[in-house]
Amino acid sequence: MRWIRVISSRVEETAEDLGGKALGLVLLHRLGLRVPDGFVVTAQACHVFLREGRLPEDLRDEFATAVTDLEHRTGRVFGARERPLAVSVRSGAPVSMPGMLTTILNLGLTPEAPEAPEAAPGERSAAADSRLRPLERAVEAVFASWNAPRARTYRVLNDIPEDLGTAVIVQAMVFGNKDARSGSGVAFSRDPNTGENVPFGEVLFERQGTDVVSGGATTRPLHELAEREPAVWAELCDALRRIERHYRDACYVEFTYEAGELWFLQVRPGRFGGAAAVRLAVELVDEGVIERREALLRVSPRHLQHARTPRLDSAEAEILARGIGACPGVASGRVVTSSDEAARMAAAGVPVILVRPETSPDDMRGLAVATGIVTARGGPASHAAVVARSMGKPAVVGVGGLAFDAANGSATIADRLLTPDTVLTIDGTSGDVAAGTPRVLLSPAGTHLQRFLSWSESVTGTTTGPAGPTA
Amino acid sequence: MNRTPTRQTDPRLLVLHALRCAGACGLARLRAVTGLDATRLDFVLIDHTVDGLTARVSDDPPCWRLTDAGRAEHARLIADELTAAGARASVEAAFDRFLVLNPELLDLCTAWQLRAVDGVMTANDHGDTAYDARVLDRFADLDRRAAAVCAELSAVLPRFARYRVRLAEALDRAASGALEYVTDSTTSYHTVWAEWHEDLLLTLGKSR
Repeated sequence: MRWIRVISSRVEETAEDLGGKALGLVLLHRLGLRVPDGFVVTAQACHVFLREGRLPEDLRDEFATAVTDLEHRTGRVFGARERPLAVSVRSGAPVSMPGMLTTILNLGLTPEAPEAPEAAPGERSAAADSRLRPLERAVEAVFASWNAPRARTYRVLNDIPEDLGTAVIVQAMVFGNKDARSGSGVAFSRDPNTGENVPFGEVLFERQGTDVVSGGATTRPLHELAEREPAVWAELCDALRRIERHYRDACYVEFTYEAGELWFLQVRPGRFGGAAAVRLAVELVDEGVIERREALLRVSPRHLQHARTPRLDSAEAEILARGIGACPGVASGRVVTSSDEAARMAAAGVPVILVRPETSPDDMRGLAVATGIVTARGGPASHAAVVARSMGKPAVVGVGGLAFDAANGSATIADRLLTPDTVLTIDGTSGDVAAGTPRVLLSPAGTHLQRFLSWSESVTGTTTGPAGPTA
Repeated sequence: MNRTPTRQTDPRLLVLHALRCAGACGLARLRAVTGLDATRLDFVLIDHTVDGLTARVSDDPPCWRLTDAGRAEHARLIADELTAAGARASVEAAFDRFLVLNPELLDLCTAWQLRAVDGVMTANDHGDTAYDARVLDRFADLDRRAAAVCAELSAVLPRFARYRVRLAEALDRAASGALEYVTDSTTSYHTVWAEWHEDLLLTLGKSR
């Protein structure tokens, strides 16, 4: 086939044609891990679409072949009412553009789908054409999303060439919401906040993967999977070790387990920053995975600067909830839930943490006087996040488990009622929200950082650490 | 129904609406948000305070806020305004187009504040003028598309034209080197945009 490659361990193309996501799936195949069957439409087809405004003429034939092949492998039929083949249609650009391009899930589950004809592979009929039209439309939608203004802006800002285009991955769906022995999650092989060598992540029982990534549902800490599905947990831990060995680095995976069977949907290196990057590099040297010289190259001066940002000592803190760290630093204060209250207490010299469902311009006075900011909703680009950074205040957004009662204006976190007497401490790097005022680590990379710096001195022959002034 | 674009919004509503969209604020900011001159604004605030709709907060500098009665009166007037102008369908359509632009604006604000350096998100120290120029260029591009949405709105509710003036002013100032007019001041592009967002929600009686 010219435009389509079946995803398997034997695929040879580069990220330029297949995109980073598909290459990750090829890697998972090579490591012998379970990946839902699928195929990838190359970025070459995207180039044609962007140039001519329509899919290549012969791609339609290749769709028919690829879908028939997928049906044989899964024992399901696309567009059928009985045993339907549901697929996801996802972008996969050569350079990651998170959240910018279109994704379509559960394609093929539409109730009005026509009955699938009994067509032999390669055979074409009018019915077969109409059966595949939703798939063609979905692929077109992903290709077209390359030129959405928001995606274009993202490329300009991140130095990504306009003409790269994106591949499209069509993959059989697995269902994390199938039954009580199903779920979805994301996992790092090590803790991305500290670098500690323990699997870290989130899981949602009996839910699909989009619910984990969207932040719309409250996730559970990954380790709860160990009690609930010991076999899945063991398989996941083994896979994380295998992937680490391949990358010689920490890794990140997205997974779904369906009826107790574990599937991998995405993989990439962990990309740790700050103190976690330092600890990871030092421990990889201790484990004999990389040389000291490589460790020094992996940790940039920026990482070292970030390694000096104060952090909550999460080992000793009572963590009530976790959100997305939006502006780094640690802040403690009494809980206030309105700007008026914030202004009143701050005027009396009391440090306050402003806790809101989300923020709007109405909250500016409160944001201005608070020492830290917590919101239940929103991501790293939310109003609260943008304003917190403009003021240099620690902020945690998108905190699952933070709830507001509209009727009486009260707030609860992890079912604990927040009152003006409640003291919270937040860590804007990890997104941790802790009770009281736990210990703060002023140099969170600690002994790892000292060892790392001593290596850099022995290599450069100077005593000026890389954390000094940089160009 | 008279739909000439010269029809002006009642200053009494403008002031209540400004306090609702922008939160409690002082005179200078109220003037900027409403576009009213100082004398007119004073009169309206005195009337509202006598009527128990607004209250003075003894912050430094002093500012005004809506009372509960003021919020209720605002909700009534803003709903009446939409009905009287027969503008719901137009505003709904414009709001849908606004919501397409909104994530891009937030991306741009984030890009203005943070940069990935060696794979680490780091505060933009604004030392790289070429990068800043690139971001501002994308702001200008977004602003052209936002202007079209704003024009649709002000055709049915003239008070929305004020956002065009304020957004253009913020961008002009940022382009001429006053960098705080992008995200970091109470008259920044981000602040005005967030007020516009809030305004649309309130006008349509929607919650976030």
